Amino acid sequence: MTLSRSRTIWVMLTPAVALIGVFILVPMVLTIWLSFHEWSTQTGFGTAKFVGLRNFEDIFGPISVGRDFKRAYLNTAIYTCLSVAIILPLSVLLGLLVHQSRVTGGNVLRTVLFSTYMVPMIAVALVWSKLYSPTEGPINQMLSWVGIGPQPWLSSPDTALFSIVILNVWQQIGYFTVLVIAGLTQIPTSLYEAARIDGANRIQGFFGVTLPLLRRTLLFSTVIGVINAVQVFEPVALITQGGPANATNVLTFHIRRVGIERAQGGLGSAMAVTLMLSLIVAIILIFALARQKEDRR
Amino acid sequence: MTGAVFRGRPSTGDVLVLLAIIGIAVVAAFPLVWMVLSSLKTSAESMQTPPVWIPDTPNLAAFGEVADVIDARRSFLNSFIIATTTTAGILVTSLMAGYAFAKYRFRGRDTLFAILIATMFLPPIVTLIPLYRLVTSLGFGASLFGVIAPHLANAFGIFLMRQFVAGVPDDLIDAARVDGASELRIVFSVVAPAVVPAIAALALFAFVYHWNTYLWPLTVLQGSTDDYPIVLSLGRLLSYNRGAVNTGLVMAGATLAVLPPLVLFVFLQRFFVDSIVSAGVKG
Repeated sequence: MTLSRSRTIWVMLTPAVALIGVFILVPMVLTIWLSFHEWSTQTGFGTAKFVGLRNFEDIFGPISVGRDFKRAYLNTAIYTCLSVAIILPLSVLLGLLVHQSRVTGGNVLRTVLFSTYMVPMIAVALVWSKLYSPTEGPINQMLSWVGIGPQPWLSSPDTALFSIVILNVWQQIGYFTVLVIAGLTQIPTSLYEAARIDGANRIQGFFGVTLPLLRRTLLFSTVIGVINAVQVFEPVALITQGGPANATNVLTFHIRRVGIERAQGGLGSAMAVTLMLSLIVAIILIFALARQKEDRR
Repeated sequence: MTGAVFRGRPSTGDVLVLLAIIGIAVVAAFPLVWMVLSSLKTSAESMQTPPVWIPDTPNLAAFGEVADVIDARRSFLNSFIIATTTTAGILVTSLMAGYAFAKYRFRGRDTLFAILIATMFLPPIVTLIPLYRLVTSLGFGASLFGVIAPHLANAFGIFLMRQFVAGVPDDLIDAARVDGASELRIVFSVVAPAVVPAIAALALFAFVYHWNTYLWPLTVLQGSTDDYPIVLSLGRLLSYNRGAVNTGLVMAGATLAVLPPLVLFVFLQRFFVDSIVSAGVKG
């Protein structure tokens, strides 16, 4: 009986566990192992030569490998902070607009916002590269109607990264808005009534009731937002190639270029490990910050 | 829906809310509308400065040109094979594992579940380099199977299925056991019908994700253009485009690539939204 039971459990679990094990967990361990080795991606794992911490010294060092990586790391950090800083407040605002019941149209707005999340990132990148076009693009044309001069968007190192943040926010905002809506529906209306009876106006109700009760949702949004942001790839690979002047060279693009295209598997793996450790630290910090705020209340 | 825009007499605030909704919807829809309009322009129109918004004589010439540059039918078929096969695999593996995690008690269950769920938060780039080598060494490189195989199971699916299968009454499962049904049979003919909305949500999610995904196919296919899904072929339209700028061609290709996930979404958006809500709130 127990034997057949434990066999059944394994029958159920083996497909998923074996696939995730072979294609995610084993590569994960290999990434860490390879980060201490010199290895060409074009050859078998057996050819890897142990070099200790040299890959890490190189990617943080003063030579060009290090300069490029540190720039990509910084770009990714800026990109991630900007994305999350725009997405969080915007998703709350849009969530409130969809959730309110005084005016119809909320559901239409939700459909429009969420439909952009269905669009392949590659198509988003192509369309926005045309929208941003300095001469033939409609964005600069519309700016000229209100008296603003043409902007260089993707073609200047000063504005290129931010331009990619905007297109990414456009693509993803629907998802985060739906998360906020889900959070809003969990808030009992009686709390608003209680606040109103206590003499709170709508703005006080927002800061006193809505925002505190959305905290868990916003914590989840922040973590997902950070993890999504470090994955930005298509607009860079297809449109900017990391340029101009390395301004849009981000980690996913850079790691792939080093580890796959240049076949420097050891260096690329060291970069990937650095990215993973940074993400773990960032997520721990986000949770610590959220807990600290909770304690203060 | 009553047909009235406002409830009762509109205040100034109500009008502002309505204007905000309309304004944001227009801004959000604009890039896609522009994409479709541009795909209908003549090549002269798409090069004009300042840009033409509405084409004078909308025509489908750009779509025909797409078919000349890339094997669009083949690309679509590849995308379809990748998305459907991956989705089918995810459904089967998630349902089985979700059932085990929801309904069995065994040593190490929670640890195993935690390890699996942790992979949900791992950006694909972290494992891309060894995964590429691994799949190539196994002999699946530059093939559709190489694109599909690594994604036949995922943590989100297991998580979603566990959440919903946990809600299936134990009595229902016990009754089937008394009738002598095997556990596998129970999963697919007793549990599955009880969690159809979750299956639909997962299926749609997986289909759209794997229709759209770019990084892995680009890496594993290594220029084997016969196996390119439509999202990779779009990149080829652009590089073909470098010589003579033809925005219409690129926009026509983008329109084609966007259609299947968007159409699926429009008809089934309720399931999408539900699955995000259950993943976000219950999680």
